[in-house]
Amino acid sequence: MPANPVVEKLRHQIGCLEGVQRRFSRTIPIADAVDRWLPYGGLPRGSIHEVKSTNLAAALAFAAILSARGHERGNIVYIAPDRSLYPLGLSPLGVKPDQLLYLCTRKPQDLAWAVMEALRCSQVSAVIALLHGLDLTASRRLQLAAETSQVTGFLLGRTNSAPIAAPITRWIISPVNGKAVQGFDEPVWAVDLSYCRGGHPGKWILEWRGEKLNTVFAQPVKQAAREALAG
Amino acid sequence: MPRRFLSLYCPEILSGRLRQLVEWCDRYSPLAAEDGCDGVILDITGCAHLFGGEGPLFLDLQHRLRRMGIRSRTAIADSWGMAWALARYSKRCVVKGAAAIPALDRLPVEALRIPGEIVLELRRLGLATIAAVRKIPRQSLAVRFGSALIFRLDQILQQAEEPLAPWRPPAPHRALRTLAEPISTLSALEYVLRELLQEICERLEKNHMGSRHMDLTCYRVDGTVDRCEVRTSKPVRSIPHLLRLFSERLNTLKADFGFEAFTLSVLDIERLDPKQLHLLQENLVPDDASFDALVDRFGTRFGFEQVNRIRICESFLPEQAVEFRPATAPMLTSAEWPAYRVRPIRLVDPPMRIEVSILIPGGSPVQFFVGNRKHRIVRSEGPERLAAEWWRENGSRRNARDYYRIEDDQGFRFWIFRDSSERWFLQGHLP
Repeated sequence: MPANPVVEKLRHQIGCLEGVQRRFSRTIPIADAVDRWLPYGGLPRGSIHEVKSTNLAAALAFAAILSARGHERGNIVYIAPDRSLYPLGLSPLGVKPDQLLYLCTRKPQDLAWAVMEALRCSQVSAVIALLHGLDLTASRRLQLAAETSQVTGFLLGRTNSAPIAAPITRWIISPVNGKAVQGFDEPVWAVDLSYCRGGHPGKWILEWRGEKLNTVFAQPVKQAAREALAG
Repeated sequence: MPRRFLSLYCPEILSGRLRQLVEWCDRYSPLAAEDGCDGVILDITGCAHLFGGEGPLFLDLQHRLRRMGIRSRTAIADSWGMAWALARYSKRCVVKGAAAIPALDRLPVEALRIPGEIVLELRRLGLATIAAVRKIPRQSLAVRFGSALIFRLDQILQQAEEPLAPWRPPAPHRALRTLAEPISTLSALEYVLRELLQEICERLEKNHMGSRHMDLTCYRVDGTVDRCEVRTSKPVRSIPHLLRLFSERLNTLKADFGFEAFTLSVLDIERLDPKQLHLLQENLVPDDASFDALVDRFGTRFGFEQVNRIRICESFLPEQAVEFRPATAPMLTSAEWPAYRVRPIRLVDPPMRIEVSILIPGGSPVQFFVGNRKHRIVRSEGPERLAAEWWRENGSRRNARDYYRIEDDQGFRFWIFRDSSERWFLQGHLP
């Protein structure tokens, strides 16, 4: 995070000119350190975020935490080609089972259609979908729909699956070994912000404890430390 | 209102085609049924005025059947039996009230719909017409021929009820459009549908009702029928919303030579009271942009079995603790799930067989293989012993499973169990 106030002011002005600041004024808090790093002061609502992981369960948990934080008890639409999501695992993350609408459809074009429809409906608070490999036009259309209705969309994928062409942010969640004393209900992830429109990439170690995400390291992890953790 | 029946006699019709004909006759009256293997019976009470009276209805039906190449005879009368008899044994077509009796009297005894042996017996006694039979006192007839003859005689003279079982339950609300020229384009279809919906929704609004299940039946020129249905998760009477649901389905209709008539039936209705709007309500959402409308659109496209609400049930077995309920089913309250029972976020169902190494028999696992891939376990928590409830199938302690939460050296977390015969399974992924 650059500390120079002049640079910061200029950045803000440019942001206003580009419309980034105004468009993404409503945000979802993640964790203090992450929010300070993001140019919007949090994860912008009404936009498309890509969450990738080698472990789909981790990506799902991250998206679920943020969806539940966006709106208290709003409708969350989950769209996937299978029924592998287990709603009982979501309740400790803040998503109550009766908030969830589960749509199961196999064909990729049906998935994309369903995500579009869900994003257009303003009574939905968040959409979580297992959808990958969207081209520029398709992902812009999703983004426009999300901006109009202020629905936040999380598109999940595996690390090796084709990316979404133009998300607002792209996160890569990697599992990290927890401490020996830590319970299994308090997972730890290495959260890598690999792309952020109008911002910089960053990396944090986050743990889910006490109903909120805490940074284990306050600053974005240095390359050496990152490697040490990965090794 | 006196009841009116229309009997259609098609001696040459094939048995498979008769059902189609019954469905086609739905355009004249919702109370249509197969009559034997060569006829159709319609209860047209209160329907004739829609076609300008019984005469025009009769001519319209005759004309259309002739155009479809179906040879038929039709009669309209006050009872099922009389219409049946006239269609088969008389040249008179439309009879009413007392005028029917002379026409009936001239008919042969076969017209009474009685078994062949009774007909033979009657003819042997020289009773060839219905008039002759009616002159004999009832008691004598009953003694000689049993109750069947008397009963049929009563039915034909409307002294006994003859219930009609229509081919499908009559719809509470129904609207019909007959066109002068057949149409086949999508835009024309939508135009007709909009008109039908307007008529139906107005009626629904007056009755404070909403539709749960609608059916659009389209009649092709060649006498065949195509239909599309729309179900909703909540009662609905908003025209834009219903139009949008139907537009998803309209392109599945095959027009072939074009459609010439349409009926829109509401097959299932539910109470829907009008909502009082606040004068200063800020974020007013139109009906077709609401969450329920989204659920309905998903259901129309993918089927409501694929669109689920979640209910937590009280069961220890992970496969049975979560119920995926179709969005159309009534919402039931979920059970409370205790927070200390940590559950995976993705479930592997059915559980995947894995090979696990343990150090001490009955102890916690050390490493396991998923296929060829080796996972070294660095942390584990457990066991948590779970068994099906005793009242369920397999519900016994002998079938209990010991569940472990484990973490491998990469930081992946799993939920695995050992069953009663020491086999290991992977059941879920923890976040």
